[in-house]
Amino acid sequence: MKLYRIAAVTERVLRQLWHDRRVLVFMLMLPAIAMLLFGYSFSGDITDVRIAFIDEDNTDLTESILESLQDAEAFKVTVLDSVNDPQHLLLSEHYQAVIRLPDKFTSLYYAHFAMGVATSAQGTVDLTLDESDPQIAATIRMGLADAMMDLGEGGPVDIETRELYGVEVRFIDSFAPAIMGFVVSLLSIVLTLLSIVREKVDGTFSRVWVSPVRRAEFILGYVIAFGLIALVQSLVVLTIGKTVFDIVINGSIFWAFGCTILFAVGSVGLGTLLSALAQTESQAIIFFPLVILPSVLLSGMMWPVQAIPRLLRPLTYLVPVTYSNRLLRAVMVKGLAPWQEPVGFIGVLVFVVLTIALSSVVLRQSAGERE
Amino acid sequence: MSNRAPVFHAETLTKRFGTLRAVDDVTMAIDRGEIYGLVGPSGSGKTTLIRMLCGLAVPTVGAAELLGSSMPSERRVVEHRFGYMPQERAIYRDLSVAENLLFFGQIYGMLRSRIIERTRDLLDLMKLSDRAKQRTDKLSGGEKQRLSLACALLHEPEALLLDEPTIGLDPALRREFWDHFHELNDNGRTILLSTHYLNEAEWCDRVGLMQLGRLIAEGTPDALKAMASARSGQERPDMEEVFLILTREGVAGGVS
Repeated sequence: MKLYRIAAVTERVLRQLWHDRRVLVFMLMLPAIAMLLFGYSFSGDITDVRIAFIDEDNTDLTESILESLQDAEAFKVTVLDSVNDPQHLLLSEHYQAVIRLPDKFTSLYYAHFAMGVATSAQGTVDLTLDESDPQIAATIRMGLADAMMDLGEGGPVDIETRELYGVEVRFIDSFAPAIMGFVVSLLSIVLTLLSIVREKVDGTFSRVWVSPVRRAEFILGYVIAFGLIALVQSLVVLTIGKTVFDIVINGSIFWAFGCTILFAVGSVGLGTLLSALAQTESQAIIFFPLVILPSVLLSGMMWPVQAIPRLLRPLTYLVPVTYSNRLLRAVMVKGLAPWQEPVGFIGVLVFVVLTIALSSVVLRQSAGERE
Repeated sequence: MSNRAPVFHAETLTKRFGTLRAVDDVTMAIDRGEIYGLVGPSGSGKTTLIRMLCGLAVPTVGAAELLGSSMPSERRVVEHRFGYMPQERAIYRDLSVAENLLFFGQIYGMLRSRIIERTRDLLDLMKLSDRAKQRTDKLSGGEKQRLSLACALLHEPEALLLDEPTIGLDPALRREFWDHFHELNDNGRTILLSTHYLNEAEWCDRVGLMQLGRLIAEGTPDALKAMASARSGQERPDMEEVFLILTREGVAGGVS
């Protein structure tokens, strides 16, 4: 193995990308676009849910419930006078919920606790809810429950919370590590695949094969080139994450980059593997959705793996991005060292070893048996 | 690995793809300093034969040797000593002319200064000097082919395997390529090339006629003409007629 031959392959791959400005721009834009698009549209923070609030009791207690609801970012609260038919409001006025605190709510509420023993006396909140969107309905239920809990003193239960892995981790905070792994791996796979298929089509692969370049040198050359690119892309994701979304990074940046690059190495291996299955560039393109769809849908990037039906869940363990998500989230959000997330870490390591070893085998076949 | 070993040597060389015999029982030896032309229609096995001789394809039966080393098992021994020009132009379309040469020089371990020197000479020779910074997908077909040849010559190999080096070139440019071949040959290079332009056979030291994977006739252009003339009774046949006569009778006559 000679360093200068590895360097020659790396230099060549980078020069090719440099000449293809469209690809270069795309490479830098994709992580930026993905972060902005997903970051804004999937921020997970539901806002502007229209709620009608009807207070028939008018006490300090009901007033504080109203204030809690108004303080919640999710809701736009409109205070209405008493109505007979709350359902009518949902239909004609397009409220997503009507919250009614009936007369005597406060006195019943306090009565319940004053006795010191179980009693049937109980304050009742009358909630009319639009269930057509379960996510919004859940937000409303949660917001109302929060408002009740905010009553504090004298409330039914006091929940003492110990928040682990960072206070108030938002969706975007745990999304940034996922998008980093996804974008870096997607581009490494796609560009390696296209590049090697193109070498086969153009015949440059034959020329390299008869030259002193060894298979390992060839693969390493590619790995280093895309490792460098992975580093730049991670920087783009983190910069946008930090400046635009103010993401919280609890862990070490060093580990974040290290793990991303490690994952990029496996992706170059996977791209090389797939290149054996395609003889032309148009055949290679068929693989793109095959790579993208499972990565997005089954990796736990958009929604937790636990939200995927049990029947499909074993499939998630075949998707490499599943492991990079676990690993990068552990490193960036939880602030752990890679080995403290063994499933993710070992998953990524196995991915790297397997794809690199196999790609070395398929390269021999790509070179040899063709006419 | 003595100098007296043939530069290219095939012994009952056979390559099967499934039931297709791409190369069928070919035995040949090409000595130092020869220009040997493989002539035959497309699909006659020229490319596969060349690929086996440079270690790109593994023989099904028989042996391929290059500069005394068995291919592909001992290809590492001779990898610096031969140059190969594949039928596809085999240059990076998204690199410039000079960058292509730089890469192929680097992987052969040439010093950067030496690469620059050779690049200047070769681009001069191939009349590509003003194209050095041009991306190769902007070049004309002939220019790409000249660059492809330059890439094979860069590391100064003593043996050359050129697969259809003149395909698609206009007659004037083909003449120019042949001038290069003879010049290289005068400098001691051994050249094995394939072509389906029958008139080019005239310019080789020796010619092998291939048909359906078999080497059906072999000899100097004059010897082949005499052979054809004797078979058909035709006076002074040109190469095209030689080919037609020998391929018609070759299989039946069993000449090899």
